[in-house]
Amino acid sequence: MSASSVALTFELVAKCSTTRARASTMTLPHGPVNLPLFMPVATQASLKGLTPEQLENTGCRLCLNNTYHLGLKPGQEVLDAVGGAHKFQGWNHNILTDSGGFQMVSLLKLATVTEEGVRFLSPHDGTPMLLTPEHSISLQNSIGSDIIMQLDDVLVTTSPDKERMREAMLRSVRWLDRCIAAHKNPDRQNLFCIIQGGLDLEMRRECCAEMVARDTPGIAIGGLSGGEAKDDFCRVVGACTQLLPELKPRYVMGIGYPEDLMVCVALGADMFDCVWPTRTARFGNAITKLGVLNLKREMYAADFGPIEDGCGCPCCRPVEEEGSMGITRAFVHHNAAKETVAAHLLTLHNVWYQLNLMREAREAIIEDRFPAFIRTFFAQIYPDRQSYPSWAVDALRTVGVDLIET
Amino acid sequence: MTNDSQEKPTAMVFEVLKAAIIDGSAARLGRMALAGRRSVDTPNYLAVASRGVVPHMTPDNVGKYLHSGGVYMALEEVIERPQQYSKRQTPIYDTPTSHGRRPLHSFTAMPSDLMTVLSARRLPAVPSPMGNSNASISIFTSTGYQVLTTKEYQNAVETLRPDIAIPLADLTYGPITPTSKRALRMAERTDEWLKNWFADEDASADGPQQRDVAVFAPVLPVSYSIQWEYLERLSEELSTRIAGLAVYNPDVLLDLLSDYANLATLPRLSVSAVTTPHHILRQISLGFDAFVLPFINLVSDAGIAMTFTFPPSQTTPTLLPLGVDLSSPACKTSLAPLSPNCTCYACTAHHAAYVHHLLGAREMLGWTLLQTHNHTVVAAFFASVRAALAQGEEAFEGAAHQFALRYEPEFPAGTGERPRARGYQFKGEAGGEVKPKLNKPAWGKLDGEGGGLGLTRVRAKKGVAPAVAVAAAAVVVAGELVESDAEGGARLETPPVSDGVADVDAQELNSLPR
Ligand SMILES: [Zn+2]
Ligand SMILES: [Zn+2]
Repeated sequence: MSASSVALTFELVAKCSTTRARASTMTLPHGPVNLPLFMPVATQASLKGLTPEQLENTGCRLCLNNTYHLGLKPGQEVLDAVGGAHKFQGWNHNILTDSGGFQMVSLLKLATVTEEGVRFLSPHDGTPMLLTPEHSISLQNSIGSDIIMQLDDVLVTTSPDKERMREAMLRSVRWLDRCIAAHKNPDRQNLFCIIQGGLDLEMRRECCAEMVARDTPGIAIGGLSGGEAKDDFCRVVGACTQLLPELKPRYVMGIGYPEDLMVCVALGADMFDCVWPTRTARFGNAITKLGVLNLKREMYAADFGPIEDGCGCPCCRPVEEEGSMGITRAFVHHNAAKETVAAHLLTLHNVWYQLNLMREAREAIIEDRFPAFIRTFFAQIYPDRQSYPSWAVDALRTVGVDLIET
Repeated sequence: MTNDSQEKPTAMVFEVLKAAIIDGSAARLGRMALAGRRSVDTPNYLAVASRGVVPHMTPDNVGKYLHSGGVYMALEEVIERPQQYSKRQTPIYDTPTSHGRRPLHSFTAMPSDLMTVLSARRLPAVPSPMGNSNASISIFTSTGYQVLTTKEYQNAVETLRPDIAIPLADLTYGPITPTSKRALRMAERTDEWLKNWFADEDASADGPQQRDVAVFAPVLPVSYSIQWEYLERLSEELSTRIAGLAVYNPDVLLDLLSDYANLATLPRLSVSAVTTPHHILRQISLGFDAFVLPFINLVSDAGIAMTFTFPPSQTTPTLLPLGVDLSSPACKTSLAPLSPNCTCYACTAHHAAYVHHLLGAREMLGWTLLQTHNHTVVAAFFASVRAALAQGEEAFEGAAHQFALRYEPEFPAGTGERPRARGYQFKGEAGGEVKPKLNKPAWGKLDGEGGGLGLTRVRAKKGVAPAVAVAAAAVVVAGELVESDAEGGARLETPPVSDGVADVDAQELNSLPR
């Protein structure tokens, strides 16, 4: 089963017979990517010290750039002069950009939202600036990313003001119309809408209906991971995926903890992004199938094992294998927070871990053994079932997987 | 992967391929060969590692893109003893010798085709207020000053098995020239230490047969007349035991070779920390074969892409710069390589505009690409020098003369912010004074929640690092790299903007799942 728009083909490869998990292939202007998918975040057109060549070698074929940052540096003029972000950063695979709105609201708490757009003070000189849907799309057109996001009116989900939440949701719909009208390159850039509506499932459903009617090539679920309870978060994702068309990619924004990824995949979501794996690497943390290890701890000072046993990344794979660096925990410990190379190595490992987790999940879905995969995944991280997070247990029960009773 | 266990005990073979025969030049072509390593055509250079890594380059990129003869490492960067773990065995000494790799190679994940040179101290080293004693030197680790005895150093070499080791020398550091009395003691101690080195080696169970570490005897940074007795011992007693000379004072070489002809066949490694290619050419002319070059890392950190070639490619009425400052606005939209005709990874896959952006955005990749490029430029420089020497000394000396005429004497300063000042290298000088930070504090929020007037420059409190930045920033706190970055506002469960550097770490750890 597949569906095509001008610049995106979505092919549904397999569906889990128990959960709502799906395996699919999405073909973008810079090549195909396999879903479900984790997208590392190259905020300022660079993935934290990795060369684009190293990133490519992890198997990454779609990464994020942040419009807000690229708009400041190098700026639209330079992007136009150079010919877009792919050429600018030497990345010949796909790029997704956000609208820039979220970062304005979260980085610059002084930003105010009006019907026109987001008003804020320039971080350069303090002069008042305005980001409109038209300006966001124009910037993203200059960036030339394969997937661009609409400007939305983002509120923290925990905001108690229902009226304001509804206003933001409806405004996001109106802004989508303005984004569609302003979008100059629908033949080579895919504009995704963003479902808003806070934690109110009725509002989310209303927003889904409005957004789906506008028939964008892909759909994002936004406004989450802002500190809401995990149960609420899962309810929103579950409610939205049920209403979304089957033959379009579903992107849950800002999600990156391995447990969150697995639960969201089970709930029927396809795409995720988060800075956490690369950011935490710079604090000496390695993500592994047995949990997160802080390699700055003294216990790793003379640990000459790989960062993660059995990992296939260039740091960890057995030293006699081609392309292995033979990195030990002791070496990372020795240089963590002292030499940038330690951060680069952990970034490489963590990105590999995230991409590989999704690759394995996809295989499990295709072979229809995803529920077993999820059980093993949780069993490896937690010492016993009593320690499983209740939100994950509850969310997975809604899609027919019981982590506790087997 | 090479299997070191199959190595023959002979440490190193050095062959002089072509020696100068004209007056005023002692330049020569040669080749250093070590079992299991890529052989090194000389003249050539060694990259300088920091804490066992070539700064900003992961070992896979070192393997692919570093074309140096090898890597110079300092023991003081890998044997710190944190106070709270002062009793522990230094981890690096426990490195297993798996897969036949030498422990130093193994610990630092150094690609197996590159040779390692181990010395006690980095180059240049921080002067120590403690000074050396009759059987030890004072070293400066990331956790403070430490005493390194001659015995511990020799054991370290035996345990870590670098390809080449420079035995301890009694050196002073810093701007003050030692008094002649002190200089004499330097020579006496170094003489004594080297004599004992080989006596201990003979006495050890394995005996000299097990010697698979090539020893490069230090030649001190004092005048010839002060160290002649030491040099005489090298010539008369130890010439068959040493595999090369590590020369701190290049001007001693001429006298040394005329008096002790039997040392002439040894490779001469310059450890005089030269700062420009002009100095390199002069020392090649004096007869040096290999160079430890700390300036490459410094030039990269300054945001400078080297642009010199040998011989100079252009004839212009004005002096050519040795490098370009990629932070300069002129690079903003330049799709050109970092230097014309360069074929390194940075220049073929990327362009000046990207590196300019990365430097401005303080993205670490900027320095990685500059390192890749600058090491390639220096490697190409040495390859061209060898090609000129192969044509004849006249060709080399002629080109060297042109080089001196065409290029500016120094590298441009570089206006970009540095990646990080490795704090522990700057402390301790002149009685514990900390050098001012090179970098301006980055952007940050003036106030906490809500109020304030938006973004402004955060003033660093006395003794406190600048507050967390919205733009990427790396600051040094007590010798540690603490990084904040532009991702603060991304969709995380951690608060997007934190109030202090220390908090970032704490929040980061607290925010980990479970
Ligand atoms: Zn790994
Ligand atoms: Zn280059």
